[in-house]
Amino acid sequence: MTASRTQAGPGNEQDADRPVPVNVASVAQGARWHRFLVMGALFTGAVVFLFPFYYMLVASLQRSPNMSVGGAFPSLGNLTLDNYVKINAALNLWQALLNSGIFAGGVLLGTVVFGVLGGYALAMLHFRGRGVLFSAMLLVLVVPFQLSMIPLYVLIARDYGLGDTYLGMILPFAINSTAVFIFRQYFLQLPSELFDAARIDGASELRTLWSIALPLVRPALLTAVLLTFIGPWNEFLWPFLITKQQSKQPLAVSLANYISVVQASTANPYGSILAGAVVLAVPAVGLFVLFQRHFVSTDLGSGVKG
Amino acid sequence: MRPSRPSRRCHGALAAVLAGAMVVLTACGGSGGASATDAATAHGPIKIWYSNNEQEIAWGKQVVDAWNTAHPTEQVTAEQIPTGKSSEDVIGAAITAGTEPCLIYNTSPAAVPGFQKQGGLIDLSSFADGTSYIETRTGDLAKQYASTDGHYYQMPWKSNPVMIFYNKDMFTKAGIDPTNPSLATYDEFLATAKKVVDSGAAPFAIYPAPSSEFYQSWFDFYPLFAAATGGKQLVADGKSQFNTPEGLAVANFWKQIYAEKLAGNETHTGDSFADGTAAMAIVGPWAISVYKDKVNWGVVPVPTADVMTADQIHTFSDAKNVGMYASCTNQGTAWDFLKFSTSQEQDGQLLTLTGQMPLRTDLPTTYAEYFAANPDYKLFAEQAARTVEVPNTPNSVEIWQAFRDAWTSAVIFGKSDVQQALTDAASKIDQLAGRT
Amino acid sequence: MTTSITRSPVPRDNPATPSAPDAGGGRRRTSLVTRLFGRQPIGMLLAAPYAVFIAVIFAYPIGFAVYMSFTDYYFTAPGVTVPHPFVGFDNYKTVLTDPAVLASFGHVGIFLILNVPLTVALSLGLAVALNRAIHFRTFFRTAYYVPYVTASVAVVAVWLVLFNADGLVNQILGPLAPDPSWLVNSVWAMPMIALFVTWKGLGFFILLYLAALQNVPRELYESASVDGAGAWRSFRSVTVPGVRQATALVLLLAIVTGANLFTEPYLLTGGGGPDGASTTPVLLMYQQGIQQGNPSTASAIGVVLVILVLIVALVNRRLTERSER
Repeated sequence: MTASRTQAGPGNEQDADRPVPVNVASVAQGARWHRFLVMGALFTGAVVFLFPFYYMLVASLQRSPNMSVGGAFPSLGNLTLDNYVKINAALNLWQALLNSGIFAGGVLLGTVVFGVLGGYALAMLHFRGRGVLFSAMLLVLVVPFQLSMIPLYVLIARDYGLGDTYLGMILPFAINSTAVFIFRQYFLQLPSELFDAARIDGASELRTLWSIALPLVRPALLTAVLLTFIGPWNEFLWPFLITKQQSKQPLAVSLANYISVVQASTANPYGSILAGAVVLAVPAVGLFVLFQRHFVSTDLGSGVKG
Repeated sequence: MRPSRPSRRCHGALAAVLAGAMVVLTACGGSGGASATDAATAHGPIKIWYSNNEQEIAWGKQVVDAWNTAHPTEQVTAEQIPTGKSSEDVIGAAITAGTEPCLIYNTSPAAVPGFQKQGGLIDLSSFADGTSYIETRTGDLAKQYASTDGHYYQMPWKSNPVMIFYNKDMFTKAGIDPTNPSLATYDEFLATAKKVVDSGAAPFAIYPAPSSEFYQSWFDFYPLFAAATGGKQLVADGKSQFNTPEGLAVANFWKQIYAEKLAGNETHTGDSFADGTAAMAIVGPWAISVYKDKVNWGVVPVPTADVMTADQIHTFSDAKNVGMYASCTNQGTAWDFLKFSTSQEQDGQLLTLTGQMPLRTDLPTTYAEYFAANPDYKLFAEQAARTVEVPNTPNSVEIWQAFRDAWTSAVIFGKSDVQQALTDAASKIDQLAGRT
Repeated sequence: MTTSITRSPVPRDNPATPSAPDAGGGRRRTSLVTRLFGRQPIGMLLAAPYAVFIAVIFAYPIGFAVYMSFTDYYFTAPGVTVPHPFVGFDNYKTVLTDPAVLASFGHVGIFLILNVPLTVALSLGLAVALNRAIHFRTFFRTAYYVPYVTASVAVVAVWLVLFNADGLVNQILGPLAPDPSWLVNSVWAMPMIALFVTWKGLGFFILLYLAALQNVPRELYESASVDGAGAWRSFRSVTVPGVRQATALVLLLAIVTGANLFTEPYLLTGGGGPDGASTTPVLLMYQQGIQQGNPSTASAIGVVLVILVLIVALVNRRLTERSER
């Protein structure tokens, strides 16, 4: 059907193929006014949302901090890349970024592989212990890290002997329970007809998962990847506890250390702190910009009606 | 059927699983440690931690190099730990896991009772020359660092006697004599502070951190209390010492400063003295390396109720010490290294490289050349002989948190009556100090 | 029927479908395998890595924390044995009668009341708007996502400056600015934190809704507009029911995040705010458990918190489920 191929957007209502029961002109006017409102609201919201980040960027480029209203608009005389140079000299940004990457990458791997399997099993399959596992997952989501921090540290640093290792950093985060929850939710949203059809054709569960379910939950997969990435990327407390060697510390930890130590002793500590923060944020934003193109409709309707 | 919310039966099953797991796992507790007597005389490689600010790193590297060259079979490996809020948490967690090093050159005296309770610290008095070495080097002040059983679980290392820095240029601008400002008594201090702010020379007169962390009272209340009482600690013999007229006077002094907006009650990012937000700072000599290029500074002792001469005034020590920790297997080497790094020569290096005062008797005469070349530091060296440490008492952190909570409520935010707050805090602290 | 798509129940035990090879046969023949392991025991295999992960990483620490809450416990170096007397509910009594602890639960309550409805409403609204926007789509989506992505530690510094007594916000507001300024004002401290966390977390929830919106079939919107429904009507009748699962998830995660608030009060209001006006239970747990070496009372607070959150989550679940039937 052609209708399922049209673009998303308010323009839909004016599709010429479709009988329109109301006055076309007023609908068009209403839609345009409506669109302006939406765009206006979005734009205002975006400005408000971005403002602190913009402020951060500007301050990181300033030579000396300017806290007044005028400081929000950078004056050319005050701009410098010095802060970035300084923070690199203090922290060895590349090594720290690499560590952050390994940490986040390990967590992503564990979550995407085992989390998907777990979410699928919890959503679709009946097996003994499913209820218990679901409760356990919920419990893990609810319990705050500080409650389990010291015993967890003892477990990993002493009993497993993984202090100062990448594995020790990754292990508590290896399978993100929020992601598992999300996978489960989205698998549940898939229509049963698809799976019934697959079963009738004699497909095994794994085959069903791989060929049918996975492609349909791509937005969920992408969402889960993005949010799973952020956790370890910005995580400070756990890597701080588990690593002492500076060469192994991810950027979030190095930056936080830098903040606590150097605040009092640099000319513009504020600037170099924010420079580090911008460096920390850029890969995550970049990843999002890359992936969000894939948040398009999967045309589920046509797949079922077919 | 859509999997429904697990029923109560499933919750029960989960609880049973967890309970079973925890019984099994807690039954297999931690492993035992090595025999104590062997470790005390063993020699071999050791690991140490020191703090990660620039100057201490420089000192740390040179002392480790000097030792390693002379002792090829007893190599010392050094790592940095971050200073600041979380270092005690890191050490505590490391003690529990048994991953802490032999020596940590960043042990806060306030944390020592807690570490001792954990069984994480080695009794330095158990070494043959332990007590004598410590008391010879540090003199009378050493007693403040002994634990309740009279033994030393920490080596007093360096102090940063807290004094008042003032910005000479701002004072000149406000019409105050920069070489001899009147900051000796509470009244004089208040008048000077008001003058500075009213004249527009600075937005604030002084800006101690107003936040609620347990250690912040060490930089507003405690130095003045030490001065006012001629060297009393917050708690002594299990009883709080601050619910007295002197303590009340100090509290009221600060209350007035906050009430008249001479100090800010919001957290300030960065150093307020260095960036010109405040005309004065209450801090120790480590800050000199920070201020020297930015501020034309002078220094005076902390104010007291009535005029006192400088050689009578006490202050807070802001000391950082060295602890020897339980996981150490080569304690013989650790003790030798500890003595080496606190020798007269190495203390001199510490002084030169960091500007902080080694906790050693008679600093002005021992390092006379240094102070002749760096007269800025001489005042601090003299002050270092009269410092007061945080009390070595059980529940030390909790005690300071209770005090700080009362302080922020009554003094900084003016929400409760000062006398009442002090009394309540005193009774709470008496309970904590008495509880083992 | 297209409307069956939005109904999420996925019938699994339809006797007409031939079973997968390794499960039992049709409903009538419940084999030993089925009785022991469930209808699709391959599920155990697929879920095993995750189950093992939870058991290994979390069962011990959580179980241990519960154990600590019933004893007089403190952490010791390995090899040091000290008695850990069982004290029953003493820790819980201490904790539940401590005014500071009760106040912290109150603060979390205020936070949740402010944050959760705002989060759900804003994130759904923005997701819908972002889904439909054609121009500048990337810019908008990125704009809303950026706060979520930046580390709290850094962004807090910016907020501290912006909301300082002579910061940008007060300069713009002029005489309208509150007298003890925002973050040191005991009335405004917690709402400020709520605002900060809402702002920061919105990107994540918008993402969840965006993904869910992709699965709402366009035919529904089209048939709604054929029936004469305007934008608001189709939002209410098509969008909201269509993303019900996502809403449940957003509610749950917002509640859990709010209840476990630690970093923001710690950083934004300097460890508890003006006279403890923005303490949270987890902040107190951190202070008592890790700074002061009292993991017993800290664990008691933690257990109480977890139980409360589970109750709230259960209530929330019941409410959203009931409206579905």
